[in-house]
Amino acid sequence: MGTTQQGGSQHGIARTSRARTEDEKLQELAKIEKYRQLEDQVRFHAAQNNYTPEVFQLTSKLLRLNPEYYTIWNVRRRLLISGLLSKPSAGSSPSTASFSTSPTATTTTSSDASSSSLSTATPPAPASPTAGRSGTTADEDGSQGQNKDFDILKSELGFTIPLLLESPKCYWIWSYRLWILRQAIQRLQTSVARRIWEEELGLASKMLTKDKRNFHAWGYRRHVVQQLESPELGGTSMAEPEFEYTTKMINADLSNFSAWHSRSKLIPRLLDERKADDEARKAFLDKELGLIRDALNVGPEDQSLWYYHHFLMLNLVSFVGHPTITPAFTQEDRVTYVLREIEGVKELLEDYDDKLIYEALLDYTLYLCQLEERQPEAGERADLVVWLRKLMVIDPMRSGRWTDMEKNYGLMERRLSMGDETVALVH
Amino acid sequence: MAESLSDTLWDVVICGTGLPQSLLALSLSRSDKKILHIDPNEYYGGAEAAFSLQEAGTWVNRLSLPTEAGSTRGVFRAASITKPPTASTSLSFPRAYSLALAPQFIHARSELLSQLVSSRAYRQVEFLAVGSFFIIKPASAPTSAKPTIVRIPSTREDVFSTTAISAKAKRVLMKFLKFVVAYDSDPQTELWQQHADTPLADFLHEHFKMDAELQTYITTLTLSLDGRISTKDGLAVIHRHLSSMGVFGLGFAAIYPKWGGLSEIAQVSCRAGAVGGAIYMLGTGIKNTTTTDGEIRLELTSGDSVKTRMLVRGDETVGGEVGISRLVAVIDSTLKTLFEVVVEGAPAPGVAVIALPAGAVTTAGGKVSDSPVYVLAHSSDTGECPVNQSVLYLTTLSTTDSKDVLQAALGSFLTAVSEDRVPDVLYELYYEQDLGSVESQTEDMIFHFPGPSLSLSFDDRTLGPVREAWEKISGGEAVEPDYMIFTDREGALDDDDVYD
Repeated sequence: MGTTQQGGSQHGIARTSRARTEDEKLQELAKIEKYRQLEDQVRFHAAQNNYTPEVFQLTSKLLRLNPEYYTIWNVRRRLLISGLLSKPSAGSSPSTASFSTSPTATTTTSSDASSSSLSTATPPAPASPTAGRSGTTADEDGSQGQNKDFDILKSELGFTIPLLLESPKCYWIWSYRLWILRQAIQRLQTSVARRIWEEELGLASKMLTKDKRNFHAWGYRRHVVQQLESPELGGTSMAEPEFEYTTKMINADLSNFSAWHSRSKLIPRLLDERKADDEARKAFLDKELGLIRDALNVGPEDQSLWYYHHFLMLNLVSFVGHPTITPAFTQEDRVTYVLREIEGVKELLEDYDDKLIYEALLDYTLYLCQLEERQPEAGERADLVVWLRKLMVIDPMRSGRWTDMEKNYGLMERRLSMGDETVALVH
Repeated sequence: MAESLSDTLWDVVICGTGLPQSLLALSLSRSDKKILHIDPNEYYGGAEAAFSLQEAGTWVNRLSLPTEAGSTRGVFRAASITKPPTASTSLSFPRAYSLALAPQFIHARSELLSQLVSSRAYRQVEFLAVGSFFIIKPASAPTSAKPTIVRIPSTREDVFSTTAISAKAKRVLMKFLKFVVAYDSDPQTELWQQHADTPLADFLHEHFKMDAELQTYITTLTLSLDGRISTKDGLAVIHRHLSSMGVFGLGFAAIYPKWGGLSEIAQVSCRAGAVGGAIYMLGTGIKNTTTTDGEIRLELTSGDSVKTRMLVRGDETVGGEVGISRLVAVIDSTLKTLFEVVVEGAPAPGVAVIALPAGAVTTAGGKVSDSPVYVLAHSSDTGECPVNQSVLYLTTLSTTDSKDVLQAALGSFLTAVSEDRVPDVLYELYYEQDLGSVESQTEDMIFHFPGPSLSLSFDDRTLGPVREAWEKISGGEAVEPDYMIFTDREGALDDDDVYD
C-alpha cells in the first residue's frame, strides 16, 4: 500500500513514519497538490452556492480522501436539499427534473443549522413535509419524487459504507448517515422508510458481531431501535427481540458489559409488556439469577457478570422508589433470596479464589443486614473479617479501602457496646 | 530434453513429492539452485496425496503387488476397497471425489501457516474452518435408544452453555483451561514438570481432581491415538488448541485445506518450485545410485542418467513400528448437525472431529476397543465429495482387530448421527500406515526425510527436517532469517486511482 492519507487523524489508524525516498516525497507532494486543488474547488463552489451535480461529485472525491472534513459533509447536505432531492409537496413547484443554482434552502428537521455560512437571505421555507408521507395525496410527480429520493438516499447510504469500513469511529460519517435516515422518514412512505431502518438495524448487528463490546455501536443500536419503535415508522415495542438479542450476545461472549447493561434496561418494560403477574415475575427473576449464577460459575473473574448479579441483588434489596422485578415480594421472600445467593457465591470458593467473590460476599452480607435493618451478627462479623483479611492479601493495592472497612466494623463494635443505635452501615 | 538432464550437474535431486519434499521445493523456489524434482508416482503428494476414486483403486492394486524396482511403496499396506451393494444412492463419477491420505487439519498457531504466509504460497490454497469436537457416548444401558453425540467445550462460553456437565465439573474444567493457557510459565510449570512423562489423564486426576468423564474430554482434545499421551505433550497440544482459538476468526482454532488436505499444500509448493525453475518429472523413480568424487550419479527409471551434488528423498525404512489403521468412508448424508455454526458470526465449518473413547466400541466379534477411534468428518464443502454426501476418515491404532473396530465404530457413529434414517455407506477404503523413521538421516550427500507423522492435527515437527535440508543445500549462502520469506512475484497493486 503506497498511499498516505492526507488531512487530519484517522481514528485508530497509525501513521507510520518511515524514511521516504526522494521519489516518494515528490509523489506525496503531487498528491497533496491534487488534494488542495480539490478542496479549493469545492469551497469555491460552495461559497458561490453553485449546487451542481459536478460539485456533488467533487464532494464525493474529497470526502473519500478525508471523511473528517465536516464542512464538506454539510456542503453535500445542502447539495441534496437544494436540488438533488425532490421538493416538499405542499404548494411549491414540483421541478424535480432540473434544479436551480440559486439557494432554495428548504428547511428540514435536520440539525445542521450550524453549517450555514451562506443562504441567510432565503425565502421563507414552505411547511416541512409531515413525517411519513402516506402517499395518498401523491400526484404523479410526488411518487416520482419519492422514487428519486429513495434512490438518492440509498445511494448516499451506500456512499458512507466504504468510508465507515475504513474509519468506523468517525462521528461525521455516522452523523451524515443518521441525517440521511431521518430524511428517509420525512420523504418516503412509512413502509419504505421502515425497511431502510430495519436494514440499519442489521448493520448495527453486523458491527456488534465484529466488535461485541463497542459501546458506540450499542448506543447506535438503541437509537435505531427507538426509531423503529416510533409511530413515525409505524412501530411497536421491540423489547422482546432486543432482550433476545442480548441473550445471543451474552452467549457469544459472557464478558459483555454493554449486553448485560442493555438487558437490565429492558427488563422493566419487558415485564410490563408481558403483563407479568407476581408469579411470572418471580419465575423471571429465578431464571435471571440462574443464568448469571451459571455465568459466574465459569467466569468469577469477570466484573461485568458481577455487575449484573449486583443489579439483581439490588432489585431485591433496594426496592423503594424504583421499578423492580418483584415488587410483591415480602420481606421474608427477599431475605430468603439474598441468603440463597450468598450461599451460591460461597460455593464458588470451593474452586475459585478471585477477589470479586470476596467483595461480593462482603457487599451481600451488608445488604442482608440493611434489609433486616440490623447490624451484622457475631458469626457474620467473623466472616466479614476473614474475607477482608483475604482481600488485603489478594488485593493489596486497595488495602486502604479494606482497612477502612475493617475499622468501621471495629468502630461499630465499639459504638454498639456504647449503646449507640444510630450507627449507619458503612459500605 | 534427455541431453540437458544428463549434462547438468544438479544442485539437488528431490525424489518424491510428499509434503516435506514439496515444502523443500518451495523453500528453494527463489534460489538459483538447479533442482530436479522427480516422483515415481504418476501423481503429486506421495504419502499425503489425495485420490479420485479411480486413483484410489489404482493405488490399492499397486500396494498388493510386490515392489517394483525404483518405486517406493512407503509405509502403506493391507489396503482394500469395498462398495456396499445396498447403497440406495449411487456413487457419483470418480473425479467427483478427492480422498485424502493425509486429512490432517492445521491449528491456527501452527508454524506451517506462518511459513505459507511468509512464502506467499497461502494465496493458492483455500481453507475451511474446523468446527466442533465431539464425543460419542454409548447408549445408556436401560432405554438404550442410540449413542449420543456430545460437544466438547473448549472455551469459556462453550462451558457456560453446555448442559452435559455439572456446575462443579464446569469449575474444575475452567480451572484447567486457565492453567493450560499459562502452562509454560511459572508457577504452572512447577506443578506439571515433575509429571512431564507420565500420562496426562493421571495428572488431571491427581491435580485437578477430574473425574473420568472430564479426563476423557481433555484427552480427546489432544487427539491422542493411544489415549495415554504424556502430560508434557498433552498440555502442549491443548495449549496450541486454546491459543489458536479465534486467531483467524470467531469460533474456530484450526483450518483445513480444501480439495484434499495436505496434498493441496504439497501441490502448491511444487507449483512454486516449478515457477522458480525446478524441473518436474512424474512417473520417474531412481533405479540406482553411485557416489563418486563428491557427486552422486543416479540412474532414473526413465532411462536418464543424472549427476547431482545432493539427493533428498523420503523415508525408505520398511516395516516400522505399529502405526494406524484407517477407514475412509463416503456416506450419503450431509451430517448437517455436525457442521452447525455454534458461535454467532463464525464461518460454517467443513470439518468436525468426533471421538469414540477407548472402550466405547465393541466389534461384531465381541472385542472391546483398547484405544480411541477418531472420526474426521468432512462435509462436501471440502471439495472431497459431491453435495449431499460426506467423507469420514476413521483412525485408530493398528492392531489385529483394528479393521473390525473401525467397522464397528463407523456403525456406531452412523447410528448416533442418524435423524430420520441411518446414512448409507457408498464406498469404503481401508489401509494401514506404519510409523516410519522419526528422524531425518544423512549419509554423505543423501538426505532422508523422516516418515510422515501419524498425528491427526498437523505436527510442526514435520517442518524441522525441511529446514535442515534447506540449510544443507543452501550451504554457506544460507541467510537464516530469509527462510521461507519471499515477496509476491507480481508488483504490488497501486490504488491511487482516487486521484484521477
